[in-house]
Amino acid sequence: MNALRLEAAVVQAGLRRLLGPLDITVPPGEVVSILGPSGAGKSSLLAWLCGALPPGLSAMGRVFLGERELTTLPPERRGLGILFQDDLLFPHLDVAGNLAFGLAAAVRGRAARRAAIAAALDSVGLPGIEARDPATLSGGERARVALLRVLLSAPGALLLDEPFGRLDPATRVAVRTLTFRLARERGLPTLLVTHDADDVAAAAGPVLRIGAGGS
Amino acid sequence: MRNAGVIVLLAVALLPVAAGLAGLAGVDGNALREVLVAPGVRGALAISVTSGILATLVAVVLAHLLVAAAAGAGWLARLRAGMLPLLALPHLALGIGLVLVLAPSGLLLRLLSPWATGFTQPPGWVTVQDPAGLSLVAGLAIKETAFLVLALLAALAQVPAAGLLRSAQALGYPPRHAWLVAVAPLLARQTRLPVAAVLTYGVTNVDLALALGPRTPPPFAVLVWQWFTSGDLAARELALAGTLVLFAVTLAVLAAGAAFYRAASHAWRAWAATGQRSHLSGLALATPVAALLALLGFAAVAALLLRAVTGPAPFPAVVAPRIGMAVDPALLAAPLATTLALALATAGVALMLTLWAAEALAARSSARAQVAALLFVPLLLPQLAFLFGWQVLLARLRIDGLFVAVLWSHLVFALPYVWGVLAEARGGLDPRLPLVARTLGAGRGTAWWRVTAPLLLRSTLVAGALAMAVSAAVYLPTLFAGAGRVATLATEAAAAIASGNLQEAAAHAALQVVVPLTAFTAAAVASRCVFRDRRGVPG
Amino acid sequence: MDRRTLLQSIALLPLLLASARGGAQDAAARWRRVEAVARGQSVYFNAWGGDSAINRYIAWAAGELDRRHGVRLVHVKVTDIAEAVTRLLAERAAGRAAGGSIDLLWLNGENFASLKEAGLLWGPWVQALPHAPLIDSSNPTTSIDMTLPTAGYEMPWGGARFTLLYDSARVALPPRTPAELRAWIEAHPGRFTYPQPPAFIGTSFLKQLLLLLVDDAAPFAAPPTPVAATQTGPLWAWLDATRPSLWRGGRAFPASGPAQRRLLADGEVDFALAFNPAEASRAIAAGELPATVRGLHFSGGALANSHFLAIPANARAKEGALVVADFLLSPGAQARKADERHWGDPTVLDVARLPPAEAAYFADLATGPATPSPPARLLPEPHPAWVGWLEAAWSRRYLGA
Repeated sequence: MNALRLEAAVVQAGLRRLLGPLDITVPPGEVVSILGPSGAGKSSLLAWLCGALPPGLSAMGRVFLGERELTTLPPERRGLGILFQDDLLFPHLDVAGNLAFGLAAAVRGRAARRAAIAAALDSVGLPGIEARDPATLSGGERARVALLRVLLSAPGALLLDEPFGRLDPATRVAVRTLTFRLARERGLPTLLVTHDADDVAAAAGPVLRIGAGGS
Repeated sequence: MRNAGVIVLLAVALLPVAAGLAGLAGVDGNALREVLVAPGVRGALAISVTSGILATLVAVVLAHLLVAAAAGAGWLARLRAGMLPLLALPHLALGIGLVLVLAPSGLLLRLLSPWATGFTQPPGWVTVQDPAGLSLVAGLAIKETAFLVLALLAALAQVPAAGLLRSAQALGYPPRHAWLVAVAPLLARQTRLPVAAVLTYGVTNVDLALALGPRTPPPFAVLVWQWFTSGDLAARELALAGTLVLFAVTLAVLAAGAAFYRAASHAWRAWAATGQRSHLSGLALATPVAALLALLGFAAVAALLLRAVTGPAPFPAVVAPRIGMAVDPALLAAPLATTLALALATAGVALMLTLWAAEALAARSSARAQVAALLFVPLLLPQLAFLFGWQVLLARLRIDGLFVAVLWSHLVFALPYVWGVLAEARGGLDPRLPLVARTLGAGRGTAWWRVTAPLLLRSTLVAGALAMAVSAAVYLPTLFAGAGRVATLATEAAAAIASGNLQEAAAHAALQVVVPLTAFTAAAVASRCVFRDRRGVPG
Repeated sequence: MDRRTLLQSIALLPLLLASARGGAQDAAARWRRVEAVARGQSVYFNAWGGDSAINRYIAWAAGELDRRHGVRLVHVKVTDIAEAVTRLLAERAAGRAAGGSIDLLWLNGENFASLKEAGLLWGPWVQALPHAPLIDSSNPTTSIDMTLPTAGYEMPWGGARFTLLYDSARVALPPRTPAELRAWIEAHPGRFTYPQPPAFIGTSFLKQLLLLLVDDAAPFAAPPTPVAATQTGPLWAWLDATRPSLWRGGRAFPASGPAQRRLLADGEVDFALAFNPAEASRAIAAGELPATVRGLHFSGGALANSHFLAIPANARAKEGALVVADFLLSPGAQARKADERHWGDPTVLDVARLPPAEAAYFADLATGPATPSPPARLLPEPHPAWVGWLEAAWSRRYLGA
């Protein structure tokens, strides 16, 4: 795995600077947190990293994964997985369909893909829910399926956009622990943005604090 | 080019209008003066404006109160089902049907004669075609209430009605009042364009006015139509000048309507701010009034069908002595096939154009609203004002009389509705869903095909059915663009009515109702069947 | 000019000259060439499509033409011929001098005058048709269309005679003069009306009354002048006097002839107006009017005209249109047209001059009980400019300012 590196990253709305310039390096297997209030441009930073800045916003700076520059690549070629506050499971697909959507094409053959999905569900304590409608799962279950989906896509780094914000406190701790554990196990460089100090503490990595409307 | 879809969409929708209005530029000043002093013009304009405004007011009030009542009592689905046939009914057929019910020799008096009335001969009463235009207002109100109810139901899907209603009720407002202060203003805002289209139609229609409107003078649009169809080519100058006047009057009425809307919403807010809480029981009257109008609409259909099967009967007999004048089914087959082909093609092209353009504007709701307003422009202008110039453009492009020309003219009228449903659905889709798909490795096309498209499928079905309904109903544009060669149920029904052949007219009109009804039913069934086991898919 | 149009011009040019010089053999040879070019052409025939019997007649003709001449006749149904006129104007505005969308047009009177004056008609062509010599030249309406000479630009297709329809169950003694009609109306308020001008049949009613009420009809054969206009006084006196006793007190009028026919069928009025003497018989047979309805002509004579076929200047399939027109003029087609079971309007051929075999077609035509015997006199139409004048005058009088 390679480090995720941001060079002189700036996010602006029109001429107004929301955030930056930031120089961040996230080494493999580590979680770097950006802590700041709502509206500070944290989510926009992640959207820019994904290659999908909303209209009206602009950004400057460069992004690297190892030596590979991502700055101008389309989202699908960056290899950055992202998790949002909402699980964003595709409502028209069942659990297996969602996971198969994520599962890297390198896993070939129906049997092999099905086995990979079953094993993944097994590994997070959700065996046998392949055919379930995502809308019928609990919040914790959905969060786990979403996490599995992004991990199965074999990303080069993980971006977390307040991914635990909607969960009730007990589930939240469990999902958070699981997320950080799996990210570390796979040696993924992980960038977390949050306004929650507990998340930052649990991440146990470097912290960057930013204020509202600028740095 | 990111906005190519939007540009193509707007070009398809607005080029005909632009061509038509360019044709109006050649209006002669003398002809204009001549129009303004033509016999009966002042009275004709007064009738057009008053009947158009009155019908719009009645339709808006009834539609809102009906939706409020239905939402409160949980019969929204039945309301929609009841309004669809009335929406699908061609104006022309409704007009003739109403005459067959309400005229002194109509079904109503026949049922009561002679046992209750003593009449053995129709009385000399003035019912339809009354000088004040009230029967015309009733006919317009039937169609436009149905149309606005469906527009309101579509808008209802876009506002958080249930939550607003709950919070207003929690503050102690009875259900009807809660609806009127909390939900109705949002719906009214969402349906400004359809209401404007209703107002335009009320002021400018020819079909209903010919059947139900007063005669001395007739509504202004009828006068213009008479000039248009005059054998004297000099009258064409008059007709062109007349459409310009009609155009100006329509714009003035629309402006007045906009001012009225602003004043009314102001008054509404003031009323809501008084904090009064009332059951507003008087407004419950709206339901029976609307029911009466709907009943009248269905009676008109029944009378038309009765006439189709039995032919005329001497007053006061309800049924003619001889029954069973069948219309040759072979006569119906070809126009039916053409109508279906046009409806399907209109739906297909409108859906593709809308999906393409909506993709570019998915994250820009104000741009979507601007496009919606632009697409509505053809519905806010008198059709008479742009059909001739449009015909000239088609002749220049050498596509007049071809299927594609008719298809284009149908698109002009279908796109505003398709856009209203589908572009809003696209805008309502969480933009992070396709983004997630892409971060998972799907290309732009794959993400659209496997995530965006399936999630829009239900809206697509509904929008497609709407497009088919519009296509089946469009008459004058079909006639102009088709050079008369593209015969649809609408043109055949009009031809039959023009000649007084009610049997054939009714047969065509009945099929004309069946096409959109089938489309709506198929869309409803299909959208229930797709993703039946997926509760999270938007409806 | 594309290649196809060029070929057509080459084929037609000699034809135009044929009437001026050359023998019968040349004419026959030229006609064979027209037929050869016409084979395979589609002829778009713009004709009023509101009557199912007429539609069936045209469909029958299409079948015959396809079988005999390989010409595909397409009936473009219009609700009003003005639609076709509008189309020709639009094509001219678009600069389409050839390859137009209309090949053959059913019209008469005002529309013919307008189109011919605007240069939108092709011709002269009628004399080139093999059946043209059979046209009844003793009937002036076959060569003079509302006072305008047709000059070979339109072919007479059928005749029309203004006819009153009345319900004999309620009108015991039918009026036969304007004065009798006025007396009847005043005695039976609310039971008579006429379609509102400019509805075609309504304006025709004004013309019929005018010709019967004035002493001298000559001024109306020319365009309106202030002096001639003063001579319309008796018409307005008649209309003013009867108006309060009309249906709806003369405040409303039926929008069209068919709309009034419905009023008659439903018993709201006792009269309707028609241009086809066989209309009552046909409507009764079709179940559209009560069996007690009868037709009648005014004893002073019936307003008479013919309806015609014309070919637009920019028509695409002129040869095909010629072949269609000639077929429709043939004794077989004309006899079928005169037959009330199919259409039932007076033929434009001189039956007396037909060979016996073909005259026989016309001998055994059945006439329905509601069809009146031929009128005492045929009253030729006024100059077409009177149409607009009468309509405007009527509107000024009865529409209010």
